[in-house]
Amino acid sequence: MLSYVLAGLGLGSIYAIAAGSLVITYVASGIFNLAFAAMAYSVARFYYWLLVEEGWGIVPSAAVSLFVFAPALGMFLYAVLFRHLRLRSTLIKLMATVGLSVALPPLIQLVLEQPTNTQAPGLAPRPLDVFKVFGSTINADQLATYIGLVVVLVVGVGLLRFTSVGLKVRALVDSEALTSLSGTSPGKVSLGVWAASVTLAGLAGILLAPTQGLSVQSMTFLMSAAFAAVVAAKLRSLPLAVGVALLMGVTTNVLEKYIDPSSTFGAVIKPAIPFIFMLLFLLYYALRGQAGDLVAGGALDRAIATQGGDPSVVSAVAGGGSNRRFLNPGLLAGVIVIGIFAMLPGMLDKFWSGLLAGGVALAIALLSYTLVVGEGGMVWLSQITFAGGGAVLSAELVRNWGWEPLVAVLVAAVIIVPVGVVIGLLTIRLGNLYIALVTLTFGSLITTLVFRRDPYYNFGSGQPMPRPEYATTNDDFTYLALAVFCILAILIVNVRRSTAGLAMSAVRFSESGAKTLGISVVQTKVLVSGLATFTAAVGGGFIAMNAGSTLPDSFDPAVGLVWLAVLVTMGARSNIAALIAGALFVLMPQIFQIYISTDLGDVPTILFGLGALGLALHPEGTVVQVGNNIMSLYRKLFGRSDPDPEAPVPPGTPGAALPDRDEADNPLLTPTARGGSATIPAGGQA
Amino acid sequence: MTTSESVSVQSEPAVSGSLLRVENLAVRYGAAQSLFDVSIDVPVNSALAVLGSNGAGKSTLARALSGLVPSSGGKVWFDGKDITKASPTKIRRAGLVHLPEGRGVFPGLTVLENLRMALSTQRTGKEESLDHAFELFPVLGQRRKQLAGTLSGGEQQMLSLARALMVSPKLVIADEMSLGLAPKLVDLVFESLAKMREAGIAVLMIEQFASRALSFADQAIILQRGSVTWSGRAEDAGEELLHAYLGGATAA
Repeated sequence: MLSYVLAGLGLGSIYAIAAGSLVITYVASGIFNLAFAAMAYSVARFYYWLLVEEGWGIVPSAAVSLFVFAPALGMFLYAVLFRHLRLRSTLIKLMATVGLSVALPPLIQLVLEQPTNTQAPGLAPRPLDVFKVFGSTINADQLATYIGLVVVLVVGVGLLRFTSVGLKVRALVDSEALTSLSGTSPGKVSLGVWAASVTLAGLAGILLAPTQGLSVQSMTFLMSAAFAAVVAAKLRSLPLAVGVALLMGVTTNVLEKYIDPSSTFGAVIKPAIPFIFMLLFLLYYALRGQAGDLVAGGALDRAIATQGGDPSVVSAVAGGGSNRRFLNPGLLAGVIVIGIFAMLPGMLDKFWSGLLAGGVALAIALLSYTLVVGEGGMVWLSQITFAGGGAVLSAELVRNWGWEPLVAVLVAAVIIVPVGVVIGLLTIRLGNLYIALVTLTFGSLITTLVFRRDPYYNFGSGQPMPRPEYATTNDDFTYLALAVFCILAILIVNVRRSTAGLAMSAVRFSESGAKTLGISVVQTKVLVSGLATFTAAVGGGFIAMNAGSTLPDSFDPAVGLVWLAVLVTMGARSNIAALIAGALFVLMPQIFQIYISTDLGDVPTILFGLGALGLALHPEGTVVQVGNNIMSLYRKLFGRSDPDPEAPVPPGTPGAALPDRDEADNPLLTPTARGGSATIPAGGQA
Repeated sequence: MTTSESVSVQSEPAVSGSLLRVENLAVRYGAAQSLFDVSIDVPVNSALAVLGSNGAGKSTLARALSGLVPSSGGKVWFDGKDITKASPTKIRRAGLVHLPEGRGVFPGLTVLENLRMALSTQRTGKEESLDHAFELFPVLGQRRKQLAGTLSGGEQQMLSLARALMVSPKLVIADEMSLGLAPKLVDLVFESLAKMREAGIAVLMIEQFASRALSFADQAIILQRGSVTWSGRAEDAGEELLHAYLGGATAA
């Protein structure tokens, strides 16, 4: 028994380092670091390169990796990314870290290739020494892990509690503005926090590599498991995070004593333990109403912040009255883009038309994110799981009952809807970050418990899912998918314009405000959840029909994060952005591999990641940005006056009334003459 | 003095001994402009009262001067240096302390830690400064281990004032320090600000109690919708003028 506990403490210690690092970074920077796994992998890979490939000793390799490379990486990432994120919405913060997690490992692998053997040495010398503790044995790697945790806790708590550096970090947690008014540069403190954060991630990665392997997947699993401890700690309490992490590690190993890990039940239960922990804590906190979002900074920080074109805060009635114009630029762009997609099938060979069909099918699934994230303002990360559910269920309907494929897809989508609605109801009282974590966990759980189980998994190829008889060719199938996309897109546009859409917008801006107007938050969120779940499931069915099989691995939640990152990069609130994102996601990797170089197959992934990083600066997304640029060029060319070229206003920015330049530039005009032009928008009080 | 006169007075070159000089300062929050061509001049060891109704831009002026919000036009000189684009940290280190509106303390830190944060720019004599703070406000000494967020409003304001008084800056911007305080505590705030002046510190005061602020200050400006609509000597700002610009909210 003791040996199970000791081994469990080893795993728990790694969870604890990861969870502790996530909590400290989150509290100090307001950013939940989904790129933790990518950072852990990068530093561990660098350590492996020094130790194994360059033949350095353990101590110099560890010292250079943890105290030179990791801090340098952290500081670089702070400089280029994290410093722009502090006052952004949860969605943008999450997507930027997703972008980083997508881009960083392939960037590292461009320089240092992925080792063929993922078994990597840790911090203990090989061959491993073995020690006897109370009659049980532990190896030197496990000992290194215990020591690692103790050192991190002693140094970390000591630094935070008893030094002036720690005082400044804690002051920054309270208020960035007040910290700067005290003569302490928040930038320098944050730089230190991120340097330390990447060092801790690297330490967790190096300690994990000997047992779980040096791969992005193993690090991602570590991170997802650490989420459970972080949620248990309500994202803030370091002791609770460390305690729950240790408990999870011990529970996982002790269960092995009672449940045979090679049995069917054992194979399911072991990877599910962190998720079960997380769900239990979440339910407990949600029921007690204690799972709200952490508000970044103090009152002063919020007072000096201005609202940008963040997709989760921008008004739903984007463009206002312009939607009703005869030649609405948005509508025109939509017609042009769909027109191009409609012309393409006849012009492409079988390979490319197959990919195009896949892109349009994916675009349908992406529309569900447009609904739930763009319209509903809820950061759901489980849409890909609903898509997978739609794919698996419709394949079952076709296989077992011989249904017509399109009917099966639609019926399966209707059957999946209640699942989405239940998740919507369960998470209604949670803050956005919790919603993101719950939905991600739900996705992981369904993937483990359903998609990876037979008969659905079937060695990775899944079950067959034929295309409808009238759309067996790639071209016909593209038209069918495009038609469904257009129907759903028109539905979304109509929902956005309807009273229900306005209600959604109101709820997104302020739940309390919406309630005082008599708008039912529950009804609105249920409507969004149901509609989005249906769209995702239909999209999943189409993806499966296009591939001819369900391919359950393509519905992994980690892939879902990339889907969302690509969509948000293009624009979370634009239907056309969903279509372009779907096509790019499918076509870009092939274009790079075929026309540029097979060695550069990873480059599109890096570009998707970098695109999501760009959200930190342009949260409104590429499509809107390009649209704005085209419109201002049009105005320049055709002499229409630009409202204010110096201060472009994202469409729909609340209360964005521009002062008239002529008046503003004339100091002799009395303020009364300027009158209403000096309206101050929400978020910018005088 | 009329509006146009005040504008012409402000555009004159600064007098010698000027500690803070602001010329045509403009500030935008995103798309909206909240300060238009504000010009002020604060000589060494003097006090300027900034008056105005809600939303006039008083706090924005304070935030722009301390570097918290970037200016979109104009120039700011402090102690002979151009600080228009400087960070709040640099401005603080240059000797300008901004006590922000609404309890400018770190609620998650203890009283002692709040004071230590205020001393982070000081290299020597930290213990003496702490003793000085506890001497000025004994109640802070009794509560040194208590989290600042759990102090009463008045005590938090004392802590905020102590953070400025213990470091001997050149200029203090006090933004609505008396807001929401009992009359006795308002007296304490004004006494503390008077102590600052005795110590040779210039004060830029943003106040809702216009009459008290005017009797404390040498100069005054009235802000309306982001512009200076009146500026002149504090004693020249009579009841009639205040009533015309600020409405009925000029009592006390």
